[in-house]
Amino acid sequence: MSPASELRLCCPAQSRYVAPARHALASFLEALRFDREFREDVTTAAGEAMANVVEHAYARGRKTPSGHLELRAKLLSDGKLSVDVVDDGSFIERRRPADRGFGLRIIRAVAGQLRIETEDGTRIRMTFNP
Amino acid sequence: MNLGDPPIYTIRLSGELEIGRKNEIREALQVSEDSGAVLLDLGEVTYADSIALTELLRFCVGAQRDGLPVALVIRTPQFARLVEYAGLASAFKIFNDRAAAVEYLAECLRR
Repeated sequence: MSPASELRLCCPAQSRYVAPARHALASFLEALRFDREFREDVTTAAGEAMANVVEHAYARGRKTPSGHLELRAKLLSDGKLSVDVVDDGSFIERRRPADRGFGLRIIRAVAGQLRIETEDGTRIRMTFNP
Repeated sequence: MNLGDPPIYTIRLSGELEIGRKNEIREALQVSEDSGAVLLDLGEVTYADSIALTELLRFCVGAQRDGLPVALVIRTPQFARLVEYAGLASAFKIFNDRAAAVEYLAECLRR
């Protein structure tokens, strides 16, 4: 039986859910038989994107419960790997580069392609070349 | 934990240093006033993220301001690459061997 080529999970945008989500992604990548360095780099980048959601996406409404974050990973037909981290929070407070600290720099160093869409929440789309 | 005289203060962190442990990391990165140098033993860290990296940088900048030499022991490839990806390789004194880190700090204290 071939491994599943898509992972999709949704959880509250809280710090304690980031590590389990990252572990799930690591298991998914291991099932796809990617090498260790690639798996680590992908989970590092995804971890940064998820931490960014936890720290900033819902920062404007701290008195209300935090929203959700969604992690999607998909093996594309050309052999590349697509990883999306999605939230429905506000992007307004996160436009300044300083707010992103080292996270975005790390993602850019690892992902072959990075696209950030900010309509109806934020979607960080990373594409990796194994 | 103190080693020698003047003391090399050791802070040891292990496991995954990530956003869920931000407060714990910040609380762990404290030194006593009589410390002569600080060894951050991160040899058993299995994963680190930029949140941890920011806390480490904050600590090292403060220590540098106070004239405390700091050495980091990092063995995990993911952690070592993270430092490179963040462009912080020159911000830390990193060793993959604890003995070498202690020797470096002892040398700093002799100067």
